[in-house]
Amino acid sequence: MGLIDHKFEDNFITTSIDRVLNWARESSIWPMGFGLACCAIEMMAASASRFDIARFGAEVFRASPRQSDLMIVAGTVTKKMAPVLRRLYDQMPEPKWVISMGSCSNAGGPFPTYSVLQGVDKVVPVDVYVSGCPPRPEALLYGLMRLQDKIRKEGTVLRKERTIMSGDSEPTLNSDLSIDSRAPRADSRGARS
Amino acid sequence: MQTIVKFLKTIFLVDLLKGLWVTLKYTPQPAFTFQYPAERRPTAPRFRGVLRLQTEPGTGAQTCIVCDQCAKACPDDLIALGGHREPGQKIKVLDYFDFNLSRCSFCGLCAEVCPTKPIKALIMSEDYELGSYSRDTQILRVDEMYDGVVIEQYTR
Repeated sequence: MGLIDHKFEDNFITTSIDRVLNWARESSIWPMGFGLACCAIEMMAASASRFDIARFGAEVFRASPRQSDLMIVAGTVTKKMAPVLRRLYDQMPEPKWVISMGSCSNAGGPFPTYSVLQGVDKVVPVDVYVSGCPPRPEALLYGLMRLQDKIRKEGTVLRKERTIMSGDSEPTLNSDLSIDSRAPRADSRGARS
Repeated sequence: MQTIVKFLKTIFLVDLLKGLWVTLKYTPQPAFTFQYPAERRPTAPRFRGVLRLQTEPGTGAQTCIVCDQCAKACPDDLIALGGHREPGQKIKVLDYFDFNLSRCSFCGLCAEVCPTKPIKALIMSEDYELGSYSRDTQILRVDEMYDGVVIEQYTR
């Protein structure tokens, strides 16, 4: 699709092409088996016959990044694993999507330590964050459906630019300081810790 | 003799038919698959979903007494809440309740220490469908804590 990316204005032909392409993409998202920790067990459960991720056309867990469209990062990403994850993401062919599954890959989870990457969005752009510890298989399917919704709105011709969040991307709890009564809270937090 | 038996087995595809017979035996069984977006499985009675603030049923009055115990109990410091005193009112009025869902490990310690009776102010609800497009929407504010996270329905 490199020939027609960002080339045309929106018109009848390009939107029709986009619709067909998006339909094809959303209904066969082949994920890459990227289980890192306990969330991978739920990911396997989602692909087994009880929940059957094949109903969404995403049953073929490929062992190779070159054949996959979706990377389900399931589990704690350590800083040692982060360059490997980035390399595997770079090896995936466009178009590609990333689902961050579970608290650990969303934000580091209960490990604010030196060895754990604080959120997988520091190395790869994440499309859908699925919260849970671990998420139920239904929650992963829900995240997959949200990703399908997102793909349906995408345009190949007018494709959105992706940004990779870097640095301190974690929103803080007291960031919204519009209410005056939030100021004492900061003091009490400081006194406590 | 053995070679003849092996040859005949190869000719009549005995091993393949054996495998197909196993498949055929399982065919008349009803489907085991749970059609998730159409039907929802009931959760276990002690299932811990996303946090939820409860109001008094009927009146809709606030039950949280802003005692800050949930924020102290949280092992990852994910809860920040505060309130102010109104003259003439017995309990504090809840101003804000921020909950960082992105790091939560759903341990339930915050809901366990909540001292309000008979209606518990902070509970672990049964909502597990949590998917968001950005990190900013994973901070739940007061209204989302009362009403729950919006679950989008699957549309085609």
